[in-house]
Amino acid sequence: MHLLAQDLVNGILAGGILAVVALGFSLVWGIMNIINLAHGAFVMLGAYVTWQLFSSFHVDPFLSLPVSFAVLFTLGYLIQRFLINWVARAPVLTTFLLTFGLSLLVVNVALLIWTGDTKGVTTAYSGTNFTVAGVTVPWAKLYTLLAALLITGVMQLWLTRSKTGRAIRATAMDIGAAQLSGVRVAHIYAIVFGLGAGLAGVAGTLISLSYSLNPSMGQPFLIKAFVVCVLGGLGSVEGALVGGLTYGIVEAFASQIDVTIGTQHISGTGLQDAVALVVLLIVLIVRPRGIMGRATA
Amino acid sequence: MSALRIADVGMRFGGLWALREVSFEVERGSVVGLIGPNGSGKTTLMNVISGVYKPTTGEVRYAGRRIADVPTHEVCHFGIARTFQVVKPFESLTVRENVAVGAMYGRDGGTRSTRASFERAQELLEIVGLAQVAQRPASDLTAPNRKRLEVAKALALDPEVLLLDEVMAGLNATEVDEALELLRDVNRRGVTLIVVEHLMKAIVSISTTIVVLAEGRKIAQGAPTEVLASPHVIEAYLGSRWAKRQEQLRVIEAERAEAEHMQPHEPNA
Amino acid sequence: MTTASASAAMRKVSLAGIMGNRGALWAAVILMLLLLLVPVALPGYQTLFRTILMYVALAYGWNTIGGYTGYVSFGNVTFFGLGAYCSALLSAHGVNNLFADVALAVVVNAAFAALVGLPILRLKGHYFGIATLGVALAITDIVGNLDAFGGTGGLALKTVDEAHFSIYYYAAWLVTAGAIGATFLVARSKLGYAFVALRENEEAAAVLGIAPTRYKIVAWAISAAIAGAAGAVFAPANGFVDPSIAFAEDANVFPIVMTILGGIGTVAGPFIGAIILSGVNELLARWFIKVHTLFFGAVIVAVVLLLPRGLVWLFGLRGGARTWLKSLAAYKA
Repeated sequence: MHLLAQDLVNGILAGGILAVVALGFSLVWGIMNIINLAHGAFVMLGAYVTWQLFSSFHVDPFLSLPVSFAVLFTLGYLIQRFLINWVARAPVLTTFLLTFGLSLLVVNVALLIWTGDTKGVTTAYSGTNFTVAGVTVPWAKLYTLLAALLITGVMQLWLTRSKTGRAIRATAMDIGAAQLSGVRVAHIYAIVFGLGAGLAGVAGTLISLSYSLNPSMGQPFLIKAFVVCVLGGLGSVEGALVGGLTYGIVEAFASQIDVTIGTQHISGTGLQDAVALVVLLIVLIVRPRGIMGRATA
Repeated sequence: MSALRIADVGMRFGGLWALREVSFEVERGSVVGLIGPNGSGKTTLMNVISGVYKPTTGEVRYAGRRIADVPTHEVCHFGIARTFQVVKPFESLTVRENVAVGAMYGRDGGTRSTRASFERAQELLEIVGLAQVAQRPASDLTAPNRKRLEVAKALALDPEVLLLDEVMAGLNATEVDEALELLRDVNRRGVTLIVVEHLMKAIVSISTTIVVLAEGRKIAQGAPTEVLASPHVIEAYLGSRWAKRQEQLRVIEAERAEAEHMQPHEPNA
Repeated sequence: MTTASASAAMRKVSLAGIMGNRGALWAAVILMLLLLLVPVALPGYQTLFRTILMYVALAYGWNTIGGYTGYVSFGNVTFFGLGAYCSALLSAHGVNNLFADVALAVVVNAAFAALVGLPILRLKGHYFGIATLGVALAITDIVGNLDAFGGTGGLALKTVDEAHFSIYYYAAWLVTAGAIGATFLVARSKLGYAFVALRENEEAAAVLGIAPTRYKIVAWAISAAIAGAAGAVFAPANGFVDPSIAFAEDANVFPIVMTILGGIGTVAGPFIGAIILSGVNELLARWFIKVHTLFFGAVIVAVVLLLPRGLVWLFGLRGGARTWLKSLAAYKA
């Protein structure tokens, strides 16, 4: 029982991070139909921004959240404005290839700046935890989850209430109509891509608290973002949250699998991804548009 | 002898019946004109007859078989072909290739060779008047030529029954005359036609029978002049009640089209 | 630039037709014949060119489902990996015969693709892509956990001695030539038209008598058979397979990148893309040991921005720089 509760908690804690990683990816994909393969690289950059501030100026990682958001937002905005918009109306695979190239560029620039050595952000509260009813909760991960929930909430409010947020949703629904009502599509696209990158940066900051850093750290998160996005439903904020938590929990429970058939020993720690992905396949086949049903874009 | 039997067909979208208790028979070799105000259910009925929609009630039978039991891709194999109101050419293929695809996989269930299919396609392009642009990509065609291509693709299936959904929309007077001549020619070759068209003059001149739909129900059937003189039909066209209903249907159809566009499953899966 | 003229320009360049450009096709055939001379003329570069051939074959495999049929798979490495494991398992049971390897890989992978395709080819667009990625990652994990497959430790294969090593090169050449030939034949046949019709409009294709699921499965099985054959000849030459080699990310992503770069859905495109990209990558690796991947990324970005429809497009381009600039403008937001 304790074990199950611990798994559930671990899953939720991990899922919160995944939700933030997937959120930016999902918005870019859902609103602009761009599969951003550089998203993982942006996550990595966010983590390094935090590490740099922490190691050079002793800035607490949570305080660096706005900085990594701002840095990545600017980078994302510029990339969309001056590169992706250039081929915005080419087939979707063209932008796919473009972001693949960008991801190689970003990762290798990071390699030049920070080298391939593994780095970590170790704060005073890293490694400390508390226990409730036999379930251990690391403080860093709990803060991370709270930050993730906060960010998701703010995003949802911003998209539904703010003027720019509404313009974004209008563009996603009907580009022509949005244009006619005075929305500057090139600008909106750049904002959305900036937002996606900014959220990746935020996710990177949160990740730096619990994972070690290296320039290729973003890749596994990119793949998980893919899956979470589809699980929750494309382009929706609550979808990313539900998808992220689901993925985190499924993965945590999968790690407990432990069976032996004949001489073949099957242990869940090696099969975590496989189980999560089989769940994904089942979800796709049963609910082709994700757990949350309707895609918004 | 009747080729096609439409019996008590009803089709419900959400809370609205787009078709209700529609029954009529189509004689082999005849030309049936299907008319009615916007939103009266003409295109829905075409979709039911061609097996794209499964009717909520009733059935359509052709040569003794229920169309609803047949997957979309097999409907053409026993002799029913259709055009789409919104034309759907394969844009990256040439005009001739577009028609050849129909000839390859159509009537004989895919037994025709590539070469024979291309020859057949060329013949059909000459018949519909697209021979000059045979080698051009389909995406280059003008709107009237796209309609012609749509007809040629359907003819490539060697149909016994051909459903034509507004193939004359957007054509000028001369083009309409040419189109009518083409359809008469096709009909003379023994193909039964079911024609949906807004152009009353055209439909009267070509149809042997006219079926009138209003608000999803059949309100009249008979010889063209007779039907059009009926006060019932005139009221249906000019009455005020349909305006509201037309708006309702338009919204539902748009949503449906949207839903189908989003739908990850195949329409016939 | 107005939308109408923009889309006209876009069409002009997008329509190489089902065969792709003739000039590009001939260039590919001649290059392919020249590649036959590598073991004799450039023995030192054999491994490099064998790897290039492998990528060419994988690109063709991907092109069948992703290019012609329009179902973008992010998981074709599954078939490459299973193909490699077919050879490894045969070798473990004392069978060291390249023909047997390829035959087994083709059968196993075509069957596996059909089985997996039945549920997931009903998914459309991106959802299919994600499902294929899921299959690839899950299979990687599962193979890594099965003792019969050597687990994460992998399996060793019996390799021929140094003097006869070029048979692996010729085997790779044959598989690649087979992949190109198969694509050529499919593109000219009724099958090719069914694939393209499904890509362009599934409903319109069905009304013309093309059974969507059946033909999509055929396309994916062909795709899988080609990737499997490439894996089957790769493993014995490599002498060893483990999950990270057999299901390598490069083997998954590069063929997609190469196909798009060369010209998606054409006969010559994958070849041109694979040769140029592998060549550029190799040269960069020699010139800039430390930063070559950075340059590689920059090359991809530049090519996408300058040739959004792939390199094959250059062969079909008439009218020089002005047409080119005009058509580029068509893609701007």
